[in-house]
Amino acid sequence: MRYKSQSVAYWYFAVAMVLFGLQLVFGLLSAAKYLGPDPLLQFLPFDVTKVIHTNLLIVWVLTGFMGATYWMVPDESRTELHSTKLAYIQLGLWTAMGVTAVIGYLFGYGTGNKLLEQPLPHKLVIVICMLIFLYNIGMTIKKSGRFTTTEGVLLLGLGSAAVLYVPALLHYENYTVSIYYRWWTIHLWVEGVWEMIQGAFLAYLLIRLSGADREVMEKWLYVIVGLVFIAGILGTAHHYYWVGVPGYWLPIGGVFSALEPAALAGMAIYAYNALRRSGLSHPNKLALHWTLGSAIFTLFGAGLLGLAHTFPDVNKWTHGTLITAMHGHAAFYGAYAMIILAMITYALPRMTRRNEEGSSIGYWAFWLQLAGMFGMTLSFATAGIAQVYLERILGMGYLDVQLKIQVHFLMLVATASIFALGVGLFIFDFFRHAPRFVIDEPDPALTTPPTSDAAL
Amino acid sequence: MNKRQTRSFALISTAIAVVVFLGLTVDSHRQFPKLTNADQITPQVTRGKDVWHQYNCINCHTLFGEGAYYAPDLTKISQQRGAPYLTAFLKDPSKFYDEQRHRRLMPNLNLDDEEIAGLIAFLDWVSKVDNQGWPPRPILVTGSSIPGTDLAVAQQDVSGSTPSDSRLPPGARPVSGTEDPIALGEALFRTATPVCSACHSIAPGVNLAGPTLAGLASRAKQVIASADYQGGAKDVEGFIRESIVTPSAYLHPGEMYSADGMSFMPNTYPKSLTSEQIDQLVAYLASFQ
Repeated sequence: MRYKSQSVAYWYFAVAMVLFGLQLVFGLLSAAKYLGPDPLLQFLPFDVTKVIHTNLLIVWVLTGFMGATYWMVPDESRTELHSTKLAYIQLGLWTAMGVTAVIGYLFGYGTGNKLLEQPLPHKLVIVICMLIFLYNIGMTIKKSGRFTTTEGVLLLGLGSAAVLYVPALLHYENYTVSIYYRWWTIHLWVEGVWEMIQGAFLAYLLIRLSGADREVMEKWLYVIVGLVFIAGILGTAHHYYWVGVPGYWLPIGGVFSALEPAALAGMAIYAYNALRRSGLSHPNKLALHWTLGSAIFTLFGAGLLGLAHTFPDVNKWTHGTLITAMHGHAAFYGAYAMIILAMITYALPRMTRRNEEGSSIGYWAFWLQLAGMFGMTLSFATAGIAQVYLERILGMGYLDVQLKIQVHFLMLVATASIFALGVGLFIFDFFRHAPRFVIDEPDPALTTPPTSDAAL
Repeated sequence: MNKRQTRSFALISTAIAVVVFLGLTVDSHRQFPKLTNADQITPQVTRGKDVWHQYNCINCHTLFGEGAYYAPDLTKISQQRGAPYLTAFLKDPSKFYDEQRHRRLMPNLNLDDEEIAGLIAFLDWVSKVDNQGWPPRPILVTGSSIPGTDLAVAQQDVSGSTPSDSRLPPGARPVSGTEDPIALGEALFRTATPVCSACHSIAPGVNLAGPTLAGLASRAKQVIASADYQGGAKDVEGFIRESIVTPSAYLHPGEMYSADGMSFMPNTYPKSLTSEQIDQLVAYLASFQ
């Protein structure tokens, strides 16, 4: 650790880990309900476990983003954070918001608006937390006077994420219009500004782990951001299929979402090349696994599996089936879960007494998660393909088809258990060592700058 | 490309995408009222939308294909089920579906009449939104158009030995023998061994291994009246029964259906089916006028 205030990140990561674990509990419960009959039908029906599953995902991923930012910005700007106190207040508010929202869902409080189920007071707290966060980071950078491109991309991503939450606060009388603006938040988050955030973390990790040249990395970061936005902004159109908006969104969605894999392939090639050309071999190979894994799994889950059902002529058959669940799980895990786990794996040896090289538990966590998530993706895919052919194309009833694809749900529960085991090991590995906040790395701002830059 | 050029690329391409996107948003707003029949969003429809949200429906069902995948899509449900059905269903879903059989069931939400009426009004508004004709084919809740799959395993048991199980919903109960003979014949057409539908289509002009059975009754009359008919049938029912029991009594023209005076159709049905079952099959097939 170089700066004392980076220790804030540890507590954000810790909260993220707990929420990640909880997310899986509700995910497994939801999956088990597909096997049925459901003994919890009257107390904890599917809609509740599912809403908690998706909401915890959003909350823990954002917690991870914030923690990772609090870790990265002092490193990049070479200064202490503006205020650790504000960061802790923000974490407290944020966690309270997340926990009360989940408890509320258990008792039926929620807006019932897909992915934006948070009640209005919670939404306002989210906005307040975002503002505190952006203020704190902004002031840190301003104070230091050192503002790197990687930081700029990250900050723009985080700032836009906050702005794009605004449409979610408004009320719409027309259901179609409310769908229209739901995706301004959700789609432009996950296929726009969050990818920007992922790109920034990726650049940071690659610069640190592979010793890749900063100028080159940041140059390509711009290219990736450009590609992400060309495809991502107009790619929102693929959420506008069949919801009551004008027909021109169909071809626009087809063309621009087809470009999305280009940006993601760019990201994967970028990561792989940085690694191959790396002049410096960093001891934290485990973090490198997560970093490269994130870039590649994103290309697979978000890029290829998204492309699989993004053309309107395909989507008219697959829309609203388990094919979407296939894409959603692999995409979110690869792009956002893995990049946060990469940041945690990179930062943790500096905040706890543990090996830079990573432990065998750490590797088991990596491979079990990957195998489990791959299996889950295949389970959803096989179930979804069968569903599309039987229900949508041949015209069998929904309930009859669900009975015929039970075997895929068995496979889903089995592979999800492997995944959960991997996550359990990661969480265990996280909490196994008590935090230890010692400044044991030289501050490059205080030592002679030219040599320290070369060492980066 | 240097770093400045790539930055310009990122900024300019993002700016263009944003401008186009905002422009299309403005135009979409121009079209929303017409596409969504905004003038038909009555207070009751709005109430129904609030009920939809309040009970978190979208985290099991899909609407416009959006939501969760644990329960059927409801975009066009009001066109498949009338208000009286939906009202009764929403009052107690367990009367309509059996959790043991379907492995999942909608919980009883204890909706009151006003909430149900609103919800149905809302779903009806949804079903009329112009959404480019999706779904391209109706998405059914239950039932099927695939031969055989609309019958429970117990119903497919042609031996007729399975006792009626009163715990099953009526639609899933085994055949009791008191049903309409035509309906029973239809079930037999898809379940007898060997299954009739393997070789015969009921669609006009579709000849499989056997000739189509579309218009069978009219054709039977012509055959009986024709000079080269040597069989013993006097009426349509008799002709069909004869064709099932002794397939070679009359040979349908065509080299793919018979050879050396022997029909290719199996002659095992007198043994594998009971006399009543053959009557049922005849009743069904004679209905194709």
